[in-house]
Amino acid sequence: MSAATRRVEHVTCLGCGCACDDITVVLQHDRIGEARNACALGAAWFGDGTMTPDVRVHGRTAPLEQALDEAARLLRAAQRPLVYLAADLSCEAQREAVALGDRLGAMLDSVSSGAAAGILAAQRRGRAAATLGEIRQRADVIVFWGTDPAERYPRFTSRYAVEPQGLQTPEGRRSRTVIAVDVGARRGPGDAAARVAVAPGDEMDALGVMRATVQGRVATDHERFRSAVELARRMSAGRYVALVADGEPGAAPADPDVAEALVTLAQALNAPTRCALVVLRGGGNRSGADAVFTWQTGFPFAVDFAPGYPTYRPQPGAVALLAAGEIDAALVIGSPASVPEPMATGLAPLVTVAIGPRVSAASFKPAVALDTGIAGIHEGGTAFRMDDVPLPLRPVLTGPPTAAGALRSLRERLGA
Amino acid sequence: MSAASRLRISGGTVYDPANGVDGEVRDVCIEGDRIVVELPSNVPRLDARGMIVMPGGVDIHAHIAGSSVNQGRRLLPEEHAADPVPAPRLADGAIARSGTGGTIPSTFTTGYRYAGLGYTTAMEAAVAPLAARHAHAELDDTPIIDAGCFVLLGNDDYLLRQLVAGELARVRQYVAWLLGATRAYAIKIVNPGGIARWKSGGAERNVGGIDDPVGSSSVTARKILEVLAGAANTLELPHPVHIHCNNLGQPGNVATTLQSMQALAGQRAHFTHLQFHSYGGERGKGWKSAARDVIEHVNAHPEISADVGQVMFGPATTLTADAPVEHLLYTSTGRKWVNVDSELETGCGIVPYAYREQAAVAALQWAVGLELFLLARDPWRVVLSTDHPNGGSFLSYPQLIRLLMDRTYRDEQLKRVNQKMFAGSALLDGLAREYTLSEIAIITRAGPARLLGLTTKGHLGAGADADVTIYADHPDRAQMFATPRHVIKGGTIVVEEGQLRRAPAGRRLAVRPEYDAAVTKDLKRFFQDYACVSFENYGAEPVS
Ligand code: SF4
Ligand SMILES: [Zn+2]
Repeated sequence: MSAATRRVEHVTCLGCGCACDDITVVLQHDRIGEARNACALGAAWFGDGTMTPDVRVHGRTAPLEQALDEAARLLRAAQRPLVYLAADLSCEAQREAVALGDRLGAMLDSVSSGAAAGILAAQRRGRAAATLGEIRQRADVIVFWGTDPAERYPRFTSRYAVEPQGLQTPEGRRSRTVIAVDVGARRGPGDAAARVAVAPGDEMDALGVMRATVQGRVATDHERFRSAVELARRMSAGRYVALVADGEPGAAPADPDVAEALVTLAQALNAPTRCALVVLRGGGNRSGADAVFTWQTGFPFAVDFAPGYPTYRPQPGAVALLAAGEIDAALVIGSPASVPEPMATGLAPLVTVAIGPRVSAASFKPAVALDTGIAGIHEGGTAFRMDDVPLPLRPVLTGPPTAAGALRSLRERLGA
Repeated sequence: MSAASRLRISGGTVYDPANGVDGEVRDVCIEGDRIVVELPSNVPRLDARGMIVMPGGVDIHAHIAGSSVNQGRRLLPEEHAADPVPAPRLADGAIARSGTGGTIPSTFTTGYRYAGLGYTTAMEAAVAPLAARHAHAELDDTPIIDAGCFVLLGNDDYLLRQLVAGELARVRQYVAWLLGATRAYAIKIVNPGGIARWKSGGAERNVGGIDDPVGSSSVTARKILEVLAGAANTLELPHPVHIHCNNLGQPGNVATTLQSMQALAGQRAHFTHLQFHSYGGERGKGWKSAARDVIEHVNAHPEISADVGQVMFGPATTLTADAPVEHLLYTSTGRKWVNVDSELETGCGIVPYAYREQAAVAALQWAVGLELFLLARDPWRVVLSTDHPNGGSFLSYPQLIRLLMDRTYRDEQLKRVNQKMFAGSALLDGLAREYTLSEIAIITRAGPARLLGLTTKGHLGAGADADVTIYADHPDRAQMFATPRHVIKGGTIVVEEGQLRRAPAGRRLAVRPEYDAAVTKDLKRFFQDYACVSFENYGAEPVS
């Protein structure tokens, strides 16, 4: 290996919620040449690691100190500030951000509001779950409910749910039965051993019928639900069932009723057998935001500090407050690319302070933009896998300011 | 107060049972973060005349930080909404944090409330090794109290494999390595073998007795207990194995509890939340108290210690690695239920709950706990806990203290509860015992500190940590213990005139036993074959 080449092993990828921590990053001349073991999505997330961090105040390049002073001034002047956490932050940065929200009496929210349906369902009912490694060890029946992880969670099946050998699945895939449930256009994996089709309009009813079947009740003998009944019987006969659904299916939020029905089906299956519901979550340490919000405030997202203490406002949520004109300034932290469209639109007319990777190019044109590195590439700390397993981050490059550091400096200025 | 500062707590009535001081009027001197024998007469004084001075409280067993605690928090938005906590106003404009309470408060609130109760040390009693990094991050956000973690062992696949292979020497190395890697303080065993069975998905969903085979005939709860207790004692850990027995909460579990104690005869071992393991009766046929049988065994065996795990009427959240028990509770109550199987290691189950005076089982549990306290002969070995938040919040400790100190109050309570299952309970015989202040000082600080091997905690002798709680001598002991006048933590006055005024960071209590590096070679192979995290990323140590 030449002197200009270096390698960092056991790096955690935050390209999706799988948080694969077996990546070897090969650097050439301080650029990422290769992210070994990473999938295409992961390789794209790492990129070449180069950054030209900028600091801008009202559109002009400015010294860091000036930007922090101006950020503090704008936030102090705000009547009703929003603190919004996007993706690609370490838990350490998230902890600083919640502290700022507390100090500012702000509305505090994160990209996890996109996974609200599943989070709220779990708050109403609880959940029967497992860490991903336990799915690998135990699951002999895996049901993908209207989701194919191949595109958005590419290594999910090779690392956790299907292929690998485990304690009770010594032959990997051959020790398991994979069943795809196609809910209209939301299709399960193409290589499943069996498929069940559910019309989107029947999804809730099918889940209800399945739960009844698992509980030994007969809910219907309608032809339409025969395959659902059969599927429920098959699941009940498994030794350890994994039910996999997508918690962040994209622009349209998941259906709250379906999210709850999946929870209660998985719970009910623990009478005849064992079952864990796996809710897939996206990358950039989203689950970390829920965890940090919860331990510091008691609520996983949509926390309003306006009364001087945390209150929970999952409805209407930050987007609605923006749309209603309630918010007069915002601090946006993390990668702007992960900010959902309605949020970015709502931020555009506001005075915003942005701290995160490439925020100087954000579509919502921050008044103060402080570019930082990306957690996991340029910044260390901790991140959570989608199943809440904490993993250390191993920065492979240094140079850009860190989000946690910038937030600490801002806190000092705000006396927080 | 800066590190070099000095303070004389003067004229208080001091209870320092570890040093044989039982209600004597004397001064306590602090220099920096330590207790010292004497100070010049001109140093600042804190006038404690007429007040009661004790070492800071030490909680030997609570669930306050980490993955399962946070799962529980996430499950309780209603409780948090009902108990908002504005940031306290601290001296010198120092930054304080707002939060929420309920049975599982937010981290900052947890630290403030423990300090407000006069407690300065608490042990987080169930940390899954895989999630140790999370537990430490939460403790970093839990101010004031010094805290340590008990790391969960006894259902982990690596251990069970070593038992099958008869590699007992390697178990010791593994345990030593794991304690260091997770920055833990002690070994916690929860339902040995039972969680492994629950996760395996077989027809046997739990362990019924300590000789049931778990996967292999060479693995039983008995074997797990013996080997881990032996490892802890050989490694000379400050606290022995901390054991949550099989069959928690089941009628008739007294048999398992006594067998577990006998299995470890002659070895140091701590049996936790003993109340939940002291029931007679039979499944399907009802429950009764077996507190007398259990406590007589403890009384006669000085190598054994216990905390009670008292149930207090009111809201609670049951939260344990003992996942099969929580499934039973879910099935019988229909409440919300969380289960998380943790890969290769352990489990987690959570059900929010409420103990009602009129519910026969809850009333029996309440009575069993009190019997254990009142029949215990050695307060140094049978100490106070509610298994927070399982039997009730730590905020209910003052009420519990009053039940122990005030027979009239206790008898009034007794009249109000459902006594349907009280046949054979010693409580009906009219137990007359009233704990003295000195005994309370033992079961809430001196005893737990000694059992934990925390030599600078739980007493006020020279060299001890300057953790001191000063109470007004109120005749209502519940009120007295709920609202200390002053609390000093590590030499800093954190509670002043009943108000939280300072919130310094707490310290982490951890052990780091030596181990033979050969074990890590074997562990790496195991990780390669089965784990879903890299060996190098496991544990709670900072990475390069
Ligand atoms: S599956 Fe996800 S975490 Fe794993 S390498 Fe691909 S993008 Fe990264
Ligand atoms: Zn406990």
